[in-house]
Amino acid sequence: MCIPFQIRSYIALACLLSLFTCGCGAADGARTTAAPRQTQITITGASTIAPLMGEIGKRFEAEHPGIRVDVQTGGSSRGVADARNGLADIGMVSRDLKPDEADLQRFLIARDGVCIILHAENPVQSLSREQIISIYTGQTRNWKAVGGRDAPITVVNKAEGRSTLEVFATHFKINTKEIHADVVIGDNEQGVKTVAGNPLAIGYVSIGTAEVDREGGVPIRLLSLNEVEASVKNVRNGTFPMSRTLNLVTKTPPEGTIKELIDFASSSKVHDLVKELSFVPID
Amino acid sequence: MARFKTRTDRVLDICVWTAPALVSGLFLWLVGDLAVRGCGAFWPGESEASGFFRLTEPLELVIKFLTGAPERAGRSGGIGPILVSTGLILMVCMSMAIPFGLGTALLLSEFVAPQNRFGRIVRRSLDVLAGVPSIVFGLFGNAVFSQFLGLRFSILSGGLTLACMVLPLLIRSTEEALNAVCPTQRHAATALGFSRWATVFQIILPQATPGVVVGLVLGIGRALAETAALIFTSGYVDRMPRSVFDSGRSLSIHIYDLSMNVAGGNQNAYASALVLITVLALINAATNWLATRFLQREAGNF
Repeated sequence: MCIPFQIRSYIALACLLSLFTCGCGAADGARTTAAPRQTQITITGASTIAPLMGEIGKRFEAEHPGIRVDVQTGGSSRGVADARNGLADIGMVSRDLKPDEADLQRFLIARDGVCIILHAENPVQSLSREQIISIYTGQTRNWKAVGGRDAPITVVNKAEGRSTLEVFATHFKINTKEIHADVVIGDNEQGVKTVAGNPLAIGYVSIGTAEVDREGGVPIRLLSLNEVEASVKNVRNGTFPMSRTLNLVTKTPPEGTIKELIDFASSSKVHDLVKELSFVPID
Repeated sequence: MARFKTRTDRVLDICVWTAPALVSGLFLWLVGDLAVRGCGAFWPGESEASGFFRLTEPLELVIKFLTGAPERAGRSGGIGPILVSTGLILMVCMSMAIPFGLGTALLLSEFVAPQNRFGRIVRRSLDVLAGVPSIVFGLFGNAVFSQFLGLRFSILSGGLTLACMVLPLLIRSTEEALNAVCPTQRHAATALGFSRWATVFQIILPQATPGVVVGLVLGIGRALAETAALIFTSGYVDRMPRSVFDSGRSLSIHIYDLSMNVAGGNQNAYASALVLITVLALINAATNWLATRFLQREAGNF
């Protein structure tokens, strides 16, 4: 029977692909059985920490040839679950551990602090918790109601899915759907620029970014919360209320390479990476 | 009479012309927006070079972007390893989906009667599968391939998950294409004493090729655009994969991560999206070209 050309090429393609796949499989199988397990470290969890951990992993790999750090995402709860059932060597959790998660070992690698910013020319010096909630839910629309001049408030909000929005909404216990926003922005720099360019705007951004920009002469004011000054220092010592911890968790006390990686992730060797993603490094 | 257009006719005329105009307008807007923002990544900044070298600079930047490794969590650097992972995932997916898809479609259209109970059950379950949200396939793939079969986070497990997802689409479109072959051809083949398989290989498949290709292109498109099914299976690692047993980040996941998780990642997210759209268009064109070439070859044989 003569099989036409296109059918033959279908079959040839299929054979080739399966051969390739099997070849890869055989090669890899041989390698993984020969090498000890610790050469690959799997980390899963919070999508907020994943980009940071990926970069930390790359730097760690560069210092320890032969070791691979695989970072996966899926959320804090997944990090906890995977660390517990052994799917991951380390879990990433972007919040404090819940009481029922106390069985895990926790390692703080950085903090994430968010502060409210106004334009430097805005006469309003401080806002109470209630005032901020009422501005963000659209009940207060004029600066006069909170002690400013008679002008409308421009509410700057973060896009859905941003971790800063989560921190903000959790702290003020606002449902993100109830937020009445005039401007929706993406990253921190954009938030700072929007507020710096509009004397009637109110916004919130990562403290790390805001502090650097203010020192660089950008006309913004960082509002204190509960009488605590918004500064990287206060986020670092844990007194600033609108902040959260970025943690690594393991099921058992870490040993060997895993311990080395965790120590590395909380050392000063990665502070530049932490700052670059607008988080606050710990001491 | 066509000459006397009533008011309703005119309104309907306008509607019929506006709808496609809006649709293509939307498409052009999207692609234009992507092109403008994406190309920003390839626009040279301040540079020493002048004259001719200044002109070649964007090209160099494009090549650097396509081959380089991501740096600073993807905000700078390129997408080389991500393109390789995407290609491998697609290859695993298609090398599983094409034989299984073709086989099932052949069975449904050539070997069982339309009213056959088994055939009806298969078709019904495929239709249900086609409507399942991709995140469900992702969780299924994570449970079965990554955990139960022990493939962990790997390109293989991602590709197999995608194959499960693409199969219903592929089977149904291939089956439609096979059914569209004129029944008199089958009768003629039978009358000439062709065996069943000879009929399939010599008469039906060659004629159905364009339809099969359309299904293939749709399947590839769906696979390339997928994020939810891959984040729990092929994973998030942006290193160059050594084999299909390594975890590898697909292009769509890279775009999603840059735009949602990484501050300052927008520029590269747009550039990566532009690459994704270009790759899709290229695959589309290539498959169409192959199909027409085969058809011409076939016509020459007769």
